[in-house]
Amino acid sequence: MPDHRALDAILQPGGITPVFQPICDVDDGHWTIAGFECLSRGPKGTNFESANVLFDYVRLKREETLVDRACITTALAAARALPAETHLGINVHASTLGRDSGFVDFLRGAADTNGIAFHRLTIEVVEHAPPWDGLSFLSMLDRLRGHGARIALDDVGLGQSNFKMLLDVCPDFMKIDRYFIEHCATDPNRQAVIEVVTRLAERFGARVIAEGVEDEATVKALKLLGITLMQGFYFSKPVDALDVPALYESARMYLPLP
Amino acid sequence: MAMRKYFEGLGFIVDGAYELEEAQALLANYRYDLVIADLRLTGIGGVEGLQIVSDVHQRCANTRVVLLSAFGTPEIERESYNRGADAFLHKPKAMMEIAHVARTLLDQ
Repeated sequence: MPDHRALDAILQPGGITPVFQPICDVDDGHWTIAGFECLSRGPKGTNFESANVLFDYVRLKREETLVDRACITTALAAARALPAETHLGINVHASTLGRDSGFVDFLRGAADTNGIAFHRLTIEVVEHAPPWDGLSFLSMLDRLRGHGARIALDDVGLGQSNFKMLLDVCPDFMKIDRYFIEHCATDPNRQAVIEVVTRLAERFGARVIAEGVEDEATVKALKLLGITLMQGFYFSKPVDALDVPALYESARMYLPLP
Repeated sequence: MAMRKYFEGLGFIVDGAYELEEAQALLANYRYDLVIADLRLTGIGGVEGLQIVSDVHQRCANTRVVLLSAFGTPEIERESYNRGADAFLHKPKAMMEIAHVARTLLDQ
């Protein structure tokens, strides 16, 4: 079996399928769509349809840069179908930001090609392993911010998304992983962790986004903890770009809150 | 993938991987009762290729591991068991024999 067979399948045209999950702003009684996170699925009918398997594989192959670029290219092309001015979160490994010196030019090119203004983009920094060039990484973040992009720190509290990363990145958004969100309605310890992250975010001037919100009890618990930006199956599973307009209709639905 | 089809025909739920990293990514995300690994998959000759046994047991100590090799030396076979493999089978081996070993290990 030739090496990189799966990587070739992932990178060939049509190998990556982009999907979009809304990030919702929950107000008393209703929610609106604040933006979308662009997610990627690997080739259909393979193990890589699971994003977790896909990106674990990519990291083991140390091909984050190549695949990050491919995911962004397909996501921004598909995002042309989204309403103008829609904010988009795109996932990028910290290792890519540290190693890929041409990333800003690449991203500008991909955004320009698809008529997407840079200020609509939020770079969601993902990292699962420490080895990246710290200075290059921070310099890249500055350049991205200089062009108008915002920065989100993904998976706060897990793996490499720790206090050091928080200090280095000074993110505009802090995304709390589903591990902390699931069962938070009934778990005082999880509520304590979320409360601390929320206070930290306030001190950093950042906004918190709760991931993995799947039921109304969790929405209510998060509201009580001061979080309004939420993402998860309660609002919508990730959908094809062409299905996004229908989400805007459902976003007007009344949400019974206390 | 002939082995996958054979085991599915026996009622097993099977995931298959063509590369070591694909197998490792599956192991990182799912729990398996049994792993059957052809040492050719690892792309590494000699005892270094036995890393897959550790990869499996790091994720789940109870997962059974069967190794297949067409070039298994006595040294590699001995080292496989030292590292925790449950069976080491020399190829060629009939599917029926591999399935028998798998059933026996899962029934233990």
